[in-house]
Amino acid sequence: MGGTDEHVAAAPGGMPRRRLLGLGFAAGGAALAAGWGLAGPAPSLAAPSPAQDAEILGFALGLEDLQETFYRQAAASSVLPAGDLRDFVETVREHETAHASYLRTLLGAGAPAPAAFTFTTELASPESIASTAILLEDLAVRAYNGQAGNLTTAALAEAAKVVSVDARHAAWIRSIVGQPPASEPTDPGVTAADVTATLTKAGLG
Amino acid sequence: MSGLPAGFDRDGAVAETLAVAEAAASRRAFLRGAVAGATGLGALTALPEARAASRNDVAILNYALSLEELQSAFYTEAERSKALSGETGVAARTIGAVERAHVKALRKVLGRAAIRRPFFDFQGVTEDPDKFLKTAVAFEDLAVAAYKGQATLVDDPAVLAAAISIHSVEARHAAWIRYLVGTTPTVAALDEPKSKDEVLQIVRATGFIAQRPKTRSRRRPGFTG
Amino acid sequence: MMVRRGRLGLAVLAVVAAGAGCGADTTSRRGEAPPATGARLAVAGERLGGLPAVPVSALEIPAPAPLADQDTVATWAPVLRRVAARARPRGDARQVGTLATRTPEATGNIVAVIGRRTVGTAVWVRVRLASLPNGRVGWVPRRALGGYETVDTRLVVDRARRTATLLRAGRRVFSAPIGVGRAATPTPAGEFYVRNVLHRYASPTYGPVAFGTSARAPTLTDWPAGGFVGIHGTDQPELLPGAVSHGCIRLRNADILRLARLMPVGTPITVT
Repeated sequence: MGGTDEHVAAAPGGMPRRRLLGLGFAAGGAALAAGWGLAGPAPSLAAPSPAQDAEILGFALGLEDLQETFYRQAAASSVLPAGDLRDFVETVREHETAHASYLRTLLGAGAPAPAAFTFTTELASPESIASTAILLEDLAVRAYNGQAGNLTTAALAEAAKVVSVDARHAAWIRSIVGQPPASEPTDPGVTAADVTATLTKAGLG
Repeated sequence: MSGLPAGFDRDGAVAETLAVAEAAASRRAFLRGAVAGATGLGALTALPEARAASRNDVAILNYALSLEELQSAFYTEAERSKALSGETGVAARTIGAVERAHVKALRKVLGRAAIRRPFFDFQGVTEDPDKFLKTAVAFEDLAVAAYKGQATLVDDPAVLAAAISIHSVEARHAAWIRYLVGTTPTVAALDEPKSKDEVLQIVRATGFIAQRPKTRSRRRPGFTG
Repeated sequence: MMVRRGRLGLAVLAVVAAGAGCGADTTSRRGEAPPATGARLAVAGERLGGLPAVPVSALEIPAPAPLADQDTVATWAPVLRRVAARARPRGDARQVGTLATRTPEATGNIVAVIGRRTVGTAVWVRVRLASLPNGRVGWVPRRALGGYETVDTRLVVDRARRTATLLRAGRRVFSAPIGVGRAATPTPAGEFYVRNVLHRYASPTYGPVAFGTSARAPTLTDWPAGGFVGIHGTDQPELLPGAVSHGCIRLRNADILRLARLMPVGTPITVT
């Protein structure tokens, strides 16, 4: 996998999009590129710890910010029809705002600022709004699930309150568009590398 | 090669099921005379073999198993009743298949440490589409809260990974059923956990866990021969 | 769909380090105080994508499968309330029998459930009656019965061939030679079900285990305890196979013991 520079998507104003990817890790799994991520050597992290919590929740916050941004822009979009889909977008927007704010509070002063991002093709039609929502919600669920075991008890308790709501979102939007809402028996966790790869592939990284 | 401490017995979860079963039994006229021990839950053998796991995690897995058995039986009976049609029928079939798979997986990992399947009496709820849907909503929301309530108590990361990966699936189910009922798929921006005590109290109150019928006896046969 | 095992290959529950901490402490031990051996956190040092690797689930969840057994599954339920069984699902229909809550063998009575109808808001259930004439069915209100149980077994008794065959999911899993009723006291033909299991009684005539059924001996109406047909062992195995009994189905003791491990109560019985 290449270095971080390959998928920089600078956005007008605010932090470059890649700040999400840079926070705490490098997309390629290689050593942290200079200037990115946390300063100093990585703590020897295997066991849960508050420092690791901060990394993980910081990463999760990036996803919540991305979702919040998406739903905010979708709500303002002219292609969003009244009805089920609008109800969904507006309700979920409130939730993602609450999720981001919740994680920010937990992280305190060290919380990363939200990265600015402008969704374009994702907002082209109700269908693309729905499919982007599905992608983001599923990704959030599996990202949380992947890191649950690496969190301290306290952080896990908090993260657990968020992940099930994102899962509800995922089934909800699928129901709206007539897809099977829950066909898999588990939501296996994915690695952070998988998350970034998915976002990159979707043009959101 | 059990990783369980000597003298371990699995009656933590069984006692719970027993307690629930006994509470229901006291309301059942036909169990007049049945002694508390004759619940049919089976003899507790010492040192059941199980894959290496802490007593704590075995209890949590058995607790999960009891809830999955409840859901599995509920959806399976509803499907067999043929009282459901359309999207409700599809949901019952799909979710039922998933809960049955959960039961299989939990029984496999618990081995002989698994609790016996409880005896259920759904009192016609599985045979009425409206009652079915309302109860399904309650079950799925409850399962989400139950798994969430246990997540921070698990010792082993592999057990936690299992629990957390099922927890979000139950949340998808909850949203799905709520959507079918016509109610908001989410409850709030954050879902709250429920403790095991709270969950079992709710389950007990449904009356769905019943005494296993006593169909064995030591009477001398009076058949015609 | 198998849960993927991931890079770490943790396919089974990791041994919690020497059982450390498996005591009275009910708070999670996963948090800030990792175990000495670190065995359960094999992710040490593997930071993939910058965050620690993902622990693998302890569960292997099989692919969800639809119910495939609707043709072979039979349902039974315990009788919770003594109730009249009626010819039709209506409270004012002709009574065709009574469901008792206990059997003569001091077990809880159970019935085979063979149909259902919702009348208005009330659910009525069609059940097999354990009465004469054999084969009678009746309707009872749902609330008279307890929880439904299902079995996937069926016992097929062939009087002419003098065999009893147990099917599970339609496949033969047991077969044995049997004794059936003599011409004057025949084993009745028809559809019945296993009502209870008797064991640990001292009666060599009936062998080690006896199953009670819903079938009644049609010619022995004065028999104490109702003249029910049983399926049981024998102290005269040399008579089998043959038409030798007062209606009961007799098996050699080794065979009845095998059957007892395979046949749950509620199993439907077809006698031809």
